[in-house]
Amino acid sequence: MTDGDYDYLIKLLALGDSGVGKTTFLYRYTDNKFNPKFITTVGIDFREKRVVYTASNPNGTTTGKTFKVHLQLWDTAGQERFRSLTTAFFRDAMGFLLMFDLTSQQSFLNVRNWMSQLQANAYCENPDIVLVGNKVDLADQREVQEKQAKELADKYGIPYFETSAATGAEVDKAVITLLDLVMKRMEQCVDKPPADSANGNGATKLSDAQPIEKKCAC
Amino acid sequence: MDLSYLQVLEREKVLEVLRRDKQLRTVEEDRIRRMKCELQDLRRRGAKNFARQYGERTCARCQRPLGKFWNSGAVCCGCSHRICRRCRVGAENWKCTVCHAYREVKIMSGEWFLEEKAKKFPLAKDKYETVGDMLLKIYSGLSHISVVPPTPPPNKDYQFMGRFGELKNSKSFTKSMEDVMVSFKCQIRESNSHNDVRVDFLQVDNSRNGGFFKSSNQKSLSDTNINKSSILFKVPSLPNLFKKSKDSDMEGSSTGAEDEASISSEHSGGQRSSISSISADCGHFDSVSVTGELELAMVYNSNALCLEVTVGACRNLTHGDGKRKKCNPYVKLYVLPDKSSKLKTSVKRNTTDPIYNEVVKYDIERHLLFGKRLQASVWHSGTLKRRVFLGEVLIPLDGWRYEDKSPQRFHWYPLCPKVRAENTFGKEPELMFGLLKV
Repeated sequence: MTDGDYDYLIKLLALGDSGVGKTTFLYRYTDNKFNPKFITTVGIDFREKRVVYTASNPNGTTTGKTFKVHLQLWDTAGQERFRSLTTAFFRDAMGFLLMFDLTSQQSFLNVRNWMSQLQANAYCENPDIVLVGNKVDLADQREVQEKQAKELADKYGIPYFETSAATGAEVDKAVITLLDLVMKRMEQCVDKPPADSANGNGATKLSDAQPIEKKCAC
Repeated sequence: MDLSYLQVLEREKVLEVLRRDKQLRTVEEDRIRRMKCELQDLRRRGAKNFARQYGERTCARCQRPLGKFWNSGAVCCGCSHRICRRCRVGAENWKCTVCHAYREVKIMSGEWFLEEKAKKFPLAKDKYETVGDMLLKIYSGLSHISVVPPTPPPNKDYQFMGRFGELKNSKSFTKSMEDVMVSFKCQIRESNSHNDVRVDFLQVDNSRNGGFFKSSNQKSLSDTNINKSSILFKVPSLPNLFKKSKDSDMEGSSTGAEDEASISSEHSGGQRSSISSISADCGHFDSVSVTGELELAMVYNSNALCLEVTVGACRNLTHGDGKRKKCNPYVKLYVLPDKSSKLKTSVKRNTTDPIYNEVVKYDIERHLLFGKRLQASVWHSGTLKRRVFLGEVLIPLDGWRYEDKSPQRFHWYPLCPKVRAENTFGKEPELMFGLLKV
């Protein structure tokens, strides 16, 4: 059982087509091991990892402050038949690892669908997402070119990484980048003026405007 | 959300994952509660005390006097209070200590996320409930216990409504009737022990001390009650926390956070008002306004396998006997939900700042402390066995760090009033009879 000796609990979630390597990716990240066997995930699962996060200023310099972060990494089934279950879990995650298989063009084409699923089901319209092209070690079977994927990521304005759960390449970097985005998002959410009052102002402006229109009509 | 399309084994597997998640969240809720308690504590330290005289210009946090020309303080951008140099955090866009801590807690507790989520899914009943939580509740057998709540006779409604002014709609009425049932049973069972037993049922505290409590008497059988206790299980939201501490904060100083508090849940307010009426109703103990603090130190002795609680002292207690300005306080301790674990300190005479330094020991294995709470209540021992409740603290024992090997650390806990329990309406057993006869 985990103890409560951490500063943040951050919940991330991996999604993408079946067989792109979500489970092995997370297994590599948490345990630094690789399991080449394909065992399909039943519905959902999660793994945990405790990391130390060093806070940085907006200008990129580190403040030297470190925090203990407890990561809860949700693993979802890519299979269609679990779809309603897995998408329901989207709303409780703070950041997303959207994965596809670099050796499967179809899994890359489906990234669009996953993006719209995220927009519909995640906690907000534009959550923090990192695009991950997995299985970069299988260079001879590669079907998706880096340029293609990069363009798509740029279109969505999200970072892109080419990883390999087999070798461990870029796996940590992809997760830490996402963690960083979420940590920055938290600060922004708290520091921005409350949206309620902004809405309220908008509403009063609207109602103010209406009577004037009426006057004009008279 | 439905798991019925899954095969049995698959569903079991999913539920297993959800149970693991539940464990993780239990730890998390505990951590959040600790954090919020600390925040509340910080706020209280800044609150003004009637017993002292203050100059007109003082720092809103530490109450140090501020000068007119030099050391005159500056206004915090968060709470708009005048703050001395020492109570600021940060350089340029500084905030006062409380505003700063509030922001930190909001980030670290994940409250920011819940707020964002609530904006997109405003219809969710309970913003703390995760999808996993919900599924687990549906499928883990929690829901198979169900008792149809007794339906009150319609023609009697008015009468009862008059009696309990607070009951605004029939739903809460039904709930309270169940409570009557429950508490009535309790009373029968417990009435031959001590006088103040029923008072101790008033313990489901979801506000002051962070409210992560299983209802101590496991009699909540009906579905409605299960829902209710699951709500009580939650940690109060930050705005709620501020709201609750507001009236005890005599200065009434507002931080930016408190503006949000005005939109926080009403039902907690309703509960609070009902406490006062009930305690006035009940002849077995008197209640006075609660002030002051209680000093406790806790340590787990792993050699003797016992929890050692040192009752240090109390300060600023209310006079138990207001007319004669008398107060003979003692402290009573329970490790809830076990009601047989009562231990008391000695009674100190004629003081509102008693010093005890008494150690009480509970023989309990460490792992059994999980889910338990220490209830320490302060009582005035009056003439003719009259007891006056002076305040209490509830401390969850699972979040406590017993590992501290250092000598016992004393900590001052602000005393809280009794908060509504599920069976507050149990004061009227004859009401129950009336209902049964109809």
